[in-house]
Amino acid sequence: MSPDLIPPAVRNRLAGLRLTARRAVDLHGLGLHHSRSRGAGLEFAQYRAYERGDEPRAIDWKLYARSDRFFVRESERESPLALWLLIDASASMAQEDEANPGWSRLAAARGLAACMAELALRQGDRFGLVGLSTGGLRLLDAGGGARQRDRLALDLNALSAAGAFPALTQLTPLWDRIGAHDLVVMISDFFDAQAMDLAARLAGARREVLAIEVLTVSERDFAYPGGHRFRDPETGAELLGDGPALRAEFLARFGTARAARHARFDSIGIRHAALVLDEQLDVPLRALFGARAAGEYG
Amino acid sequence: MVALLFPAALAALLALAVPLLIHLARRSEARPTDFAALEWLREKPRPKSRLRFDDLLLLALRLLLITGLALWLARPVLTESADRTPVVTAVPGVDAGPPAAPKRNIWLAPGFPPGDEPQPSCLAQACPPLFSLIRQLDAELPPDVPLTLIVPERLAGLDAERPRLSRAVTWKIVPGAMPASAAPPLRLHFILPAGSDPGLRYLRAAASALQSPGTPTQTIIVHIAAGPLPAHLRAAVTEGATVLAAPGVTAAGVATPIWHDTDGQPLATMQRIGRGYLYRFTRRLDPAAMPILLDPDFPRQLAAMLAPPPPPGRAMARDVAPITGAPPWPVPARDLQPWLALAIAALFAAERWLATRRRRAVSP
Repeated sequence: MSPDLIPPAVRNRLAGLRLTARRAVDLHGLGLHHSRSRGAGLEFAQYRAYERGDEPRAIDWKLYARSDRFFVRESERESPLALWLLIDASASMAQEDEANPGWSRLAAARGLAACMAELALRQGDRFGLVGLSTGGLRLLDAGGGARQRDRLALDLNALSAAGAFPALTQLTPLWDRIGAHDLVVMISDFFDAQAMDLAARLAGARREVLAIEVLTVSERDFAYPGGHRFRDPETGAELLGDGPALRAEFLARFGTARAARHARFDSIGIRHAALVLDEQLDVPLRALFGARAAGEYG
Repeated sequence: MVALLFPAALAALLALAVPLLIHLARRSEARPTDFAALEWLREKPRPKSRLRFDDLLLLALRLLLITGLALWLARPVLTESADRTPVVTAVPGVDAGPPAAPKRNIWLAPGFPPGDEPQPSCLAQACPPLFSLIRQLDAELPPDVPLTLIVPERLAGLDAERPRLSRAVTWKIVPGAMPASAAPPLRLHFILPAGSDPGLRYLRAAASALQSPGTPTQTIIVHIAAGPLPAHLRAAVTEGATVLAAPGVTAAGVATPIWHDTDGQPLATMQRIGRGYLYRFTRRLDPAAMPILLDPDFPRQLAAMLAPPPPPGRAMARDVAPITGAPPWPVPARDLQPWLALAIAALFAAERWLATRRRRAVSP
């Protein structure tokens, strides 16, 4: 990835991370991800005791007949994964903090996408990009290799935040490309109901969806001194108010809404993490792909 | 006390309104703030206190800066900053008695050093001109500061006028005498050219009359031959020598008559060349043209022209007590503009630093 998208310190810490999927597929050649299938030509690795969660068809029934115990047959064969980076490019993603101009939500999303593409490249996984905006979908088909990384960098830099989140009807091209069991990472603020719906639809259609919500510092702290004219960048609605007076109620309501979003994510099996703009880029990646998180699905 | 020489410049204080307007906390409302989570904001009536300012520290700095500039334009001066304690001054060497505690004790010597610094005594050797020092002290002190002068009975090194001061001083006379300025005995040495010029006879006679034993204090080169002053003599004069020349000698420059006969006609002129002097007779050295050549007083008058005797400078202290009547000298006010300019520069630097540092809430 072009060096300006990933800060050097973050690149250093990416070494400990590994992209993992809950269900890996065994269709597309060799990769890092476990696939406990027993297809022809697979190289036998070992037997191990059955654990809860193993698929019943992975159990060696002949061995069960001989020993009266469940054994799972494991193979060396590992398969690659397709990683889809879905970046919300609606106007709300252009928001940045006054204290740190230039570091917008979209810039952070670019950095996150670049980090994950770097991880995928290291593992031999394919990755693709979708920029979501009413201005038009920006699609980069999944592929692997260093050239794909450069194409992704070009597309990321060309991405600009404008318009609103597209309606689901606009998103039919996604279904052609994102296959079942693909890993989909959605980077958005998830303020739009459509974004939540898209994530839910993808998750419901057997795509493994991860969500990274990107929040500005002002949304977390709401430290506005004095009067401000707040404007919604997508609808254009305006509200004149005094920062300290609005603060407590906003924080309460915003927290409630966030908790509701998280609850919905959890209910449909979407793992999620959050990045506030004053944090390092690898904070949500560590939560999703760190050693502990990977262990849950290893 | 601080005074302003140009108070009209304080009108520049009107400019204080500019930073106040800049910092009025309304600009953050004029500029919309992007806020995507507007959905969870609920409108509330704004509190009533309307007049508020952003960035109070910066505002204060800017107000100070403008106030300083207006003051600078108004040209502040510090008047009457001088010491008002009574002054007691003594001629170095006299018995001035114990130092008076609530008063300022200084020596009547150049620079007016404080009384606890030892000074070379004036009763043993010549001192700088006394009256000049007294006049200077009178001019430098503020008008109403009492002044006491302690002088010995006999004074020396005086000039022709009694000091006329702007204040009545206490003229305290103590026993003692200043020595007469010991004028060294005049020993002139003439270097006379050889030759048989008739005028040379008179000069030779005068030279031998003025001859006295001991090392000469002054050497005079006599030059008779008409024509321009030779180069080596001119160089010698420039270096500080004294040349006595006949009327036929010419030299570039302006000469002033210095010696007149009883009719008031000039007998000789003086011309300064470099560090030395060129004396020149205006008439032929011939008794017919210059009868004084035959006068017995000629050598003395010639010596007086070449080395004038010191003016009389001794008097009894009681006779030359200072008189009053001079107008008071204005006390020089201290100009505060340079210091104010420094302060303004420091304020400006602080303001720039504060205004351009990275983390600022809003940007007025």
